[in-house]
Order: sequence, then C-alpha cells, then structure tokens
Amino acid sequence: MDVFATNFRTIDWIIVCVYICFPVIIGIIVRKYIRQISDFIVAGRSLRLFIAIATLTGTELGLVTVMYNAELGFKHGFSAFHVGLIETVCILAIGLTGFIVYRLRQLRVMTIPEFYEKRFGRNVRIVGGIILALGGILNMGLFLQAGARFMMGITGYSHPAGLKIFMSVMLIMVLIYTVLGGMVSVVLNDFMQFVVLSIGMLIGSIFAISKIGWDKLFEAPATVDHAAWFNPMSEGSGFGSIYVIFMVVLTFSAGALWQSGTLRALAAKTPQVAKQLYAWSSVSYLARRVIPMLWGICAYIFVSQTPNLLKAFQGPNALNTQFGMPIFIAKILPSGFLGIIAAGMFAAFMSTHDSYLLSWSSVITQDVIAPLKKDKLSDKQRLLINRITIVAIGFFLLIWGLWFEAPVSLWNYMAVTGTIYLAGAFTVVVAGLYWKRASTVGAKIALYAGLLAVLGIGPWTRGENVPFYLTDKFIGVMTFVIAFLGMIIGSLLFPDKKSSSEAPQGEKA
Amino acid sequence: MSWAILWKIILIFTLSAYSLLVLIVIIGGIGNIVDMLKDLRPPQTSETPADTTKLD
Repeated sequence: MDVFATNFRTIDWIIVCVYICFPVIIGIIVRKYIRQISDFIVAGRSLRLFIAIATLTGTELGLVTVMYNAELGFKHGFSAFHVGLIETVCILAIGLTGFIVYRLRQLRVMTIPEFYEKRFGRNVRIVGGIILALGGILNMGLFLQAGARFMMGITGYSHPAGLKIFMSVMLIMVLIYTVLGGMVSVVLNDFMQFVVLSIGMLIGSIFAISKIGWDKLFEAPATVDHAAWFNPMSEGSGFGSIYVIFMVVLTFSAGALWQSGTLRALAAKTPQVAKQLYAWSSVSYLARRVIPMLWGICAYIFVSQTPNLLKAFQGPNALNTQFGMPIFIAKILPSGFLGIIAAGMFAAFMSTHDSYLLSWSSVITQDVIAPLKKDKLSDKQRLLINRITIVAIGFFLLIWGLWFEAPVSLWNYMAVTGTIYLAGAFTVVVAGLYWKRASTVGAKIALYAGLLAVLGIGPWTRGENVPFYLTDKFIGVMTFVIAFLGMIIGSLLFPDKKSSSEAPQGEKA
Repeated sequence: MSWAILWKIILIFTLSAYSLLVLIVIIGGIGNIVDMLKDLRPPQTSETPADTTKLD
C-alpha cells in the first residue's frame, strides 16, 4: 500500500474550496458591526451561553489540537487519555466554583494584563503583556506547520515543496478574514466550525472504530509494551508521575487563564454566563482530547498491521508521527465525506488561528503599546495597530514553522511554551485576586520566572536518555514552582508601600 | 479496575455526552446569534456620533 494513497478526489477539493469561502464572506459582512475596540476584541460583551460554548469549543478544538492529540494517541496509545481526563476535571472545577473567571469577568477587563494594571500597576501590565505575547506567539509557532502536514496527509500531496505551499495558502486565508472582522466574525465562524467539525468527528470516529474493530481497539499492538499502552504512570509510556503532575498544573492554569479561552469568558454577557460556560464546556474539552487521540490510536493499530506503512514510520528517515492520523483517515474515509472532514478541519485551523492572532495582537496593542503611549491612542489607531500586528505575527508563523521542529512532540512543545506565560500569569492572578499581601515585586518575579520554561524547548530535551532534570516535563513543573515561590518570597520581603491590596471591584452578577 | 476498562468507559462517555452537547448547542446557538447581532446593531435613530475614544 502506498504511504500517501488517499481517497481524496476532485469532489473533495470542490467541497473544501466552497466551504472556505464562507468565513471570508462572513468577515466582510460583519465589518459593519465593528464600531469600537470592545466590539473587535470581545464582541461588545454580548455572548450568550450556547454561542459562547460553540465559540470556546471552536477555539480550543483547532486543527492543531486534533494533530497534537492524535500524535499523542499514535505514540502513546490509551495512556494519553489521562491528559484529557485531567483537563476535564480541571475545567469542570473552574466552572462549578467560578475560580478566577467569575471575578475577572466582574472586573470587565478585556485582557489578563489589564488585570495586572488594576491590581499591581502599569509596569506589571507591560511586563506581563510582553511575556504573554512572547509565550503565546511561540506557542502558536507550529500551528501552521501541523495544519499543513494534515492537509498533505489527507490529500496525499507528498511533493517536497508541499509544506511551504500549504502553509503559505492557509496563512493568507486566515489573515484576510481575521483582519477584516475581529471577534464578531470569529464568533460566527467558530459556530459554523463547531457544527461541521463536531458532526464530522463523531461520524469519523465510527468509521475508525469500525475499521479496527471494537474489541481489537483495546488490545495493545504487538509492537508496543502492553502496560505502557494503557498506564500513564508507567515510565515506559513516555509520561510518568512528573508528567502527570505537570499536566494537572498546566491544564488547570490554562483552563482558567489561557488568553484565547479566557477571552470567551470575558466576552460573556454576565459573570454567571462565564461560569456556566466552563461547566458545560468540560464535555467539549474531553472530546477535543479523546476523539483525536482515538483516531491516533486507530491509526497506529492500522499502521502496525500494514508492513510498508510501519516501515515508513521507523528508522532514521521515518515520517514525522504527526502524519500518522491524516494518512490513516485518508485511507478509510470515503470520498465526499473526506472532503467534509478536510473542510471542517480547515475551518478549525482558521478559527483557532483567528482567535489566537486576535488574542496576541490585542495584548500587544492594549497591554504593551497603549500603556507605553499613556493610553492616548484612539479606537481607530488601536484597530489599525491590531491589524498590523496580526499580519506581522502571521509572517513570523510562516518562518518559524518552516525552520523549527518540536524536540519531543507537538503537545510537549505547546505545553512548555504555554508555561512561559501560564506559570507567571496563574500565580499573579490567583495571588492578586485572593491574597491581600501579594505585592508588585512578587508579581514581577513570578512573571519573569515564567521565562525559565523556554529552556524546555531546547535541543537538550531531545532523545531517549535525557537526565530527568533536563526533560521538558521537569522544566515545566519547576517553572511553576519557582514562579509560585517567587511571588510569596517577593511579596513578603518587598510589600507594597500603600496597601492597595484587595482586588479591584467590578460589576455585580 | 484495569486501565483498559477505565479508558473504555471514558471513550463511551465522551462519544455519548459530546453528541448530546452538539445537539443542544446547535439548537440554542442559532437563537443566540440572532440576539447578539441585535445587540451590536448601531441605533437607527441616534443623531449623536458615538464617542470613539471611549473604550467601554
């Protein structure tokens, strides 16, 4: 069997082309609704529960999400499911308690660093904004690359220039409509993507399970260790106890404070809706992990049963494991349906990109440039800076995606780059909201400590026999610990002169 | 309980619960979109231009 053989036909190309015109049209139509900066960034804070669930899922269920989770399933089997289970419990806990998100929404802030200013002053906002943008942009550095690999795998296009061609075309499409519409077009496209992708993924799962067989799905392939395939605490699984601890801290902090997700809570109509949004979305968070992992697991079982495919993923010139899932579904899904899945995934790619581009450009505009200009920028100037920043980030993604390869796996890269921002942000926001003695010095130390996580994407984390203290998971956990200790020690040794200290008050529920 | 059984239960739960959520969100979301666009529509009768410097 040819490795890149696919059921993708002309009809599938037509479906994809027609489908991807919709977001651009929506972007143009909704321009008339964009009158001020809050319309552009948080859709005028007009999101009601169900559309908020769709748009949160649309953002957090991107093509890159499908790719990194499928890669985890392909490489680690069912043991990868623990990441989804941990994340779901964390999101549900946030939804039920309203921890962080309820009070942030009450404060009517548009970005996390805006909270830093309200609680710790302008300098902390600027520092926090720069670190957030740095971590966030690095985090999305491989989105374009992963998206292009999916499209290559599913369409069977294996030309050496394929990666560059797909990355360039996909980037241009997403830039056009994000720049035009802002958050309103993002919300509408997220809804469309939620519907198409969710139905496609559910039907695709039925195809994948049918191909492998329900009973055989739960038998570890002969090429892997049985215990490691199911047990995440087993060191042979590639995870282990330190990794599990890292996932708990990371998914809880990301659930509450990942800018693109939190932006949905901040755009919710009321603080109560923000809280409900998280409780309901815990199911979506589980699905966005488990379903792609299932596809990855089925892909590995399929590959392990097909000698020439198995050979393609082994040895020094092995295909990147991100290709496993798209190559598998390209062979098992029928033409026509494959086009719908490709279109849905492409829409997922666009909706994640637009939200992330909007998040990071908003942070650069609102939290770095505007405070440096002493808030003398008009709404029109802010919109222009936002749009220019979006295009600049887009070009960075193109260059970074062509040059950089994730050292361990795509998910590990994203976890570690996310920690650059999250370790400091989580500590600063939690302390700022719930600890009266938290000080400006403590906040700055915590934010700078997050930068340590950048060590986790270095070349020394690569390979099988890396000492534990150089692994990305250990660096990730330690970054959170250092940020936390930095906040406590800094606040106790250098308290603020005026006790500002309680979190600012916002609107009532 | 073995890990395999736990993951089997999680998989069945995910596929069932997500199917239900998708159905609920599609039905509820369409109404929400209409309301959101109504909220954002500029007032037809206003003669005073909006204050463009005001953030919120």
